[in-house]
Amino acid sequence: MSEYSCLVVEDSPMMRQLLVFALARLKNLRVTEADDGVDGLKKLASAKFDIILTDINMPIMDGLKLVKRVRSDPTHKDTPIVIITTEGASEDRQRALQLGANAYITKPIQAPQVIATVKELLRIE
Amino acid sequence: MGEGTKRNSAPPPDLMRERDEVLQSFSRGAKLTEQFMQEYSRIREHALDLEESNARLRAQLEADDALAKLLGKVERLEQERQDLLRRTERAEKAKVSFDERFGEVENEFASLANLFVASNQLHASLTPRGVVRRIKEILAQLVGAEAYAMYIASSDGKELVPVASEGVPGELLVPLPLEGSSVGAVVHSRQAVIDEERETNQIDFERPPVIIPLGVDDTTVGAIVIFGTLEQKPRFSHTDFELFKLLGQHAAAALVGAALFEQAGRRLPGAEAFRDVSV
Repeated sequence: MSEYSCLVVEDSPMMRQLLVFALARLKNLRVTEADDGVDGLKKLASAKFDIILTDINMPIMDGLKLVKRVRSDPTHKDTPIVIITTEGASEDRQRALQLGANAYITKPIQAPQVIATVKELLRIE
Repeated sequence: MGEGTKRNSAPPPDLMRERDEVLQSFSRGAKLTEQFMQEYSRIREHALDLEESNARLRAQLEADDALAKLLGKVERLEQERQDLLRRTERAEKAKVSFDERFGEVENEFASLANLFVASNQLHASLTPRGVVRRIKEILAQLVGAEAYAMYIASSDGKELVPVASEGVPGELLVPLPLEGSSVGAVVHSRQAVIDEERETNQIDFERPPVIIPLGVDDTTVGAIVIFGTLEQKPRFSHTDFELFKLLGQHAAAALVGAALFEQAGRRLPGAEAFRDVSV
């Protein structure tokens, strides 16, 4: 039975698949996928998640707006959020952290880094 | 007895002598007794001294025995300590070895995951545009390429035409001759060129660090050229080399397959198309 639940919000199917593969290394972690910010909010409306991983650059609703919406929702205001950015997008990264994101991962993503970040935020040994 | 007889009260000389002798003898006896008492006292003191000395020696012996036992115990404990230290050292070495192996397995897993996802994505589209988008995504998101271009050989086989790029100035995106260009040489040789000596995060359009020939079956149809990587990616990893191999072997095949499918009006072949494929 899953002990933790994770929402991955990423528009690129490849990146999403890669994140799901990386997170599959963590036992007791159930992963739900969302295509963009709007889809992510829909998933958040129907379930509570222990952690959210979101890309910044996405169509329809980007990661920054998603972070803002999540933090203003009392149900998810304390849910750890990890943003996925490119190295050059330091302004977006700073903005996301100001809005309440807890950590960031830069692309190209490395599975060990994803695992370590999630484990740290969920305090998994 | 007559009146005129005087009575002599003085003791006779014999008695006097005898008395003197008795007195002398008594005096000698007293002296001997005194000497004897002194000797007795001395012997008693000596006996007491001996007893004390004996007690001390016994205590010393007991203490020595306890010390010997303690020393034996200390020696055993020291041996146990050394044994524990050796075991701890072995356990630490095993842990380090396990951690290293675990790290290697994790990295290998990450590498395989990247390759699986890249391969899966390359063949997930049947439109040339979709395939190109996925190739670009692999280069940008998995390899960390910042400036790159993909060239396909023209139908006359004389030029390499750029069909996709990122981070390359427009004036540089021109057809390259198959003869006389570094990219053309790689296409001819069918051997990838990867410069592992220098840092790749400095974009270099003159001397690109990576040129990968793209093959379909036994034919080379083009090349992917990486001019530079993202700032945080100064070196290629083992996974990148595997991705280069994957792209070299599958990217062109996926692209050609998608192009042919498009040319066929996106009609899927019927069973008759596979009539002669049985082996």
